[in-house]
Order: sequence, then structure tokens, then C-alpha cells
Amino acid sequence: MRGGLAATATRTVAAGPRVAALLLGAACVAWTATPLRHIGWANLTLAAAIVSVAAGALRLALSEVPQPEDEYFLSAPVRAWLWFLSALRLPPWEEIAVVALVWLEVLHPARPLHTAALGAGLAGYLLTVHIAESGAPAGRLLRGQAKVLAVGACLLALGAGAAMLPAAGPGAGSSLLRVLAAAAVTVAAALVLPA
Amino acid sequence: MPERKDVAVHWRLSRHARRLLTLAAAGLLLAMLTRRAELVGLAAPALLLLAAARPVRPARIGVRSRVTATRLYEDEPAAVDVTLEAGDLDGQLDVRWTLHAGRGIDPQSATSANGDAARFTFTVPRWGRRETGTVEAVLHDRWRLAEGRLSLPLPAIACYPNPATQRTRVVLSRLPNRLGEHSARVPGEGVEFTGVREYVPGDRQRQINWPASTRRGRLQVNTFAAERSQDVVLLVDATSDVGEPGSSALDFGLRGAAGAAHAYLDARDRVGVITYQWGGARWLAPSLGRRQVYRIIDSMLDVDSGWSRGTVFSRLPRAALPPGALVVVFSPLLDQRFVEALRDMRERGFILLVVDVLNTEPPRRLRFTDVMARRIWRMEQQAIRFSLRELGVPVVHWDGVTPLDLPLAPYMRRPLVVRR
Repeated sequence: MRGGLAATATRTVAAGPRVAALLLGAACVAWTATPLRHIGWANLTLAAAIVSVAAGALRLALSEVPQPEDEYFLSAPVRAWLWFLSALRLPPWEEIAVVALVWLEVLHPARPLHTAALGAGLAGYLLTVHIAESGAPAGRLLRGQAKVLAVGACLLALGAGAAMLPAAGPGAGSSLLRVLAAAAVTVAAALVLPA
Repeated sequence: MPERKDVAVHWRLSRHARRLLTLAAAGLLLAMLTRRAELVGLAAPALLLLAAARPVRPARIGVRSRVTATRLYEDEPAAVDVTLEAGDLDGQLDVRWTLHAGRGIDPQSATSANGDAARFTFTVPRWGRRETGTVEAVLHDRWRLAEGRLSLPLPAIACYPNPATQRTRVVLSRLPNRLGEHSARVPGEGVEFTGVREYVPGDRQRQINWPASTRRGRLQVNTFAAERSQDVVLLVDATSDVGEPGSSALDFGLRGAAGAAHAYLDARDRVGVITYQWGGARWLAPSLGRRQVYRIIDSMLDVDSGWSRGTVFSRLPRAALPPGALVVVFSPLLDQRFVEALRDMRERGFILLVVDVLNTEPPRRLRFTDVMARRIWRMEQQAIRFSLRELGVPVVHWDGVTPLDLPLAPYMRRPLVVRR
């Protein structure tokens, strides 16, 4: 009885980060997709993002299903199931989702605050996927990286703020300079960050 | 103390690091292309998480590993213990161990475990020499951005067939003149009382039977049976491995032979083994002692079932098949040449006792020809057993489950008479 309760509790603890990763991924997709755009393969990118987030969540859910090696004379349904598992586990779904979401954001007109929130959401999504995948204790992992995450949030806000400032001049170079400045601040922060 | 080995570690970026790198690269690249500063901010957290890591990547790392038993019986539990010895890096690396069990190894615990040390338990369901497999460890640094992998091959193990239960022994009527534990038919210095005879000078005083001496008026002494040992040769037919794995004829043959080896060696008999198999016969000369059990089983583990080339036992040296030895045969009696070899041995005067380990039949089918073939096959089998019995070779059937004492009971109550 006690063993059964312990097993249920372990399963619940393991399911938490997986569900959180799915919800964060779905939220990022919804956040980026609105309002819907129909330019520059936006529909295709949106479909890719949805499929990637869903497949990533499914991969996490099925991560503990064993994949037998060197089996002979398998039935067609078992072979199909094994093929499905390997197809699910091989592609880097989260990377595809991230690239698709960033591209989808680019297709929208500039909206710095919206982009900053997306950045926070994507960082959270990737950390949650990592926690769900590795089984590492979330509290300890986040406490260890709290300073870095705080600096990252500041830079996110700084980037959004820089984008909202009016350009110094009408030339194309001024926007490029702003990008370079933001990148320089990020790199400087990375260099001075304590270990 | 488990053996320590320095194992090479192959490091690479973890999946988490690759994802962060993708986000950072996508944000920076698109920021430059579209000249939108907020995309640099989007890339910033990922970039910082990557930059904050301090690489701890030892090229080699110490691992202690131990298999609790390299020789075990079928279904006997064993375990693999592994411990990481990171030295100065203790506590800085997260370790996940995974056991990749070899073929024929049945894990009994979870095959993955976290922590510096891990224990994996397993059993081997069927006899034979088995590769235990490998233990793989995945190491992560404190930030989980680098992933190191190491692989540790485990030693091979020998799984012995579960010996059948045999508590009693078949004893020959004529035993060689060698001290042992079986009562012989000749008088000697044993403990089994055989009769009373008249005293002759030189007899021990303590052997005088006083009640009989009083009755007869002359001194009478007790006589005892001599105690002798016998030579036993276990003959295992490995040419036909029919039946389901785990309960095939060869499985039963080896288990029966292992049980018989235990039983006869416990009675201080000299026991040897001959395995009739693909490529000829392997033999081990009869000998005494506890070690002989393991020598016999080790010899039997190398059997290779298949079509025999027709070994003739007359070519075996006298040491492998001593005259006057009791030959206990474990066979399904399916190979005609093996049966011929048994007849040949009997005609040369060897005392044989055949334990029939055939416990399977051709599949039952409805077609008339199949039914007829099955009946003919049965009649052939009965004829083989009948012909052996006619030659004076007892054939007993053993189901592989009950103790061997049951089928052998008729031959254990009294000595097996040697007829030449």
C-alpha cells in the first residue's frame, strides 16, 4: 500500500515539469501567433511551432518507455510503435520550436515589450524542458542559477527599453548601432558574471 | 574491494546547452538582420546561462566496479556494484548510471540509477557462458551544460545448470578395490554387519561376539562388509537440444548430470564426464573432491549442440572411461549414432544406466499423414528403448522436475548387478 502511494507520488512529481513544459510551450506559441499574420510563410512556421511543441511534450511523456534493442520477428504494430518512438526521440523538437517562434515574432511589426515577454517565456520553456528531461530537482537548479537569471531578466528589459527609445537620427545606421549596443551590453554582462 | 579503473570520458555539449545556443544564435542573428534591438534582449538570458558555466571536464575518471559472483546457478541473483571516484571533483558532477545487460541476462532492478554509486541486480535464466554487458555513465557538470559519457565493460560470467536433486545413489555389485563409502559384498573393515564366524588367531579381541561364543562354546567374531568406492562416468548427449529453451532435453541432461555429480562426489566416488556433441566428444577423467563438481560443470558449459560427427567411444582413452565404471547416460535418444555407440559400449562390457530426458513430441496436427508420422515416430522411440533394455541397459524416464531419486529408485534399493 505504502509502495503504491510512493510510486504514485513519484509519478506525480515527474509529471509536474512535463505538464509545465507543455503549458509554457503552448503559451509561447499563442503569445507569438497573435495577431495572426499571413506573410513570409507565417502559417507554415506556426504549424511547425505547434507540431514541435506537441512532439516535444510527447517525447517527454514517453521518455521512460524502454526501447528494446536487437529484437527479431516483431509484429507489425510493435515495429510501427518502435519506429514512432525513434522518430519522436531523434529530432531536436525544442530547437525547431524556438527557431520557429523567433521567426514568427520577427514577422510581426516591432513590439519590444511583447518580444521581451516572449524571451522570458522561451527561457522558462527551455529550463522547464531541461528539468523535466534530467529529473534534476527544480529548486536546487534554479537557486544555483538565480543570479544569472536575474541579470538575464534585466538585460531583457534593457533590450526592450533600448528598442522603445526613439532613434537618434533617421539613418539606417542608427538602428544597427542600437543592436550592436544591446549586444555589447549582453556580452559585457556575460564576461563579468561571477561563477 | 572492487577493482578501480581509470576510464576515458567523452565530453560534448548537453541537449540543454544546444537548445540555449540555438535560442541565443537565432536571437542575435535575426537582431542583426532585422536591426531590432529587442531580439538581442531575447537572446540575452540564454547567452548568459551559457557564459556562466565554468568547464569541469576531466579526460579520465576513476570508476570502481564489481560483479558479486562470476559463477552462479540458473536464476540465482547477482549484482553489479559501480562507484565513481572523481577525486577533487567530488560533488561537482551529477552521475546517471545505466546497465546495458548482455544477451541472456535478466535485470531484476531498475536499469538506470542516479548518484555516485549504484547497484544493479540481475539473474541468468539459462545456463551458459554470458557477457554481463556494459555499464554506461552520463556525467553532467554543475550547470548541466556539458555531458560526459563513459562506458565500462563488465566481466563475463558462467551460469551453471541448476543441479537436479539426488540424495541416493546407484551402486554396482562389483566395486573396485579402493576405500570408499559403499558397502561391498566382500568382507572387510567397514561398519555394516554381515555375519559371525569362528575366531582365528590374529582376529581383534573387540570383534568377539560374546553372546554367540557363549551359545556355541567356542569364540565367535563378527564380520563386516568392506567399504569401497566406484568410478562413475556421466555421459551427456548434447547432439539434440529439443524442447523449449529452459526445459529442453539438453537443459534437463545437464541439470541431471550436475545433480548426479554432486551426489556421487558426496559419497567419495570418482566421477568423470563425457559430453557427446558436435565436433566429437569432450571428456574429463574421473576424480574425487569438491573441485571436481566445478570442473565437470565447466566442461559441460562448453557443449555445442548440433549434428554429431559420430564419435566412437572406443577411441576414448582408458582414463576417460575406466573399465568397471558405472556409466550414467543423460540423453533424449534421438541421435541414432549415439544409440549405436551405447550398444557398442554395452557389448564391450560397460554397465550403463540411461536417463531418458526427452519430454517433448512432434506437434499435434490434424492431417492424416502428420498423425501417421507422429505414430511412427513414437513407435521408433519405443523400439530404441526396447532394444536397449533387451541388451541389459536400464532406461528410465525423467521429467526434469521431480528429484532424480524417483526414476532411479528401482536401481537404488539393491546393487546394480554387473553382467558381462
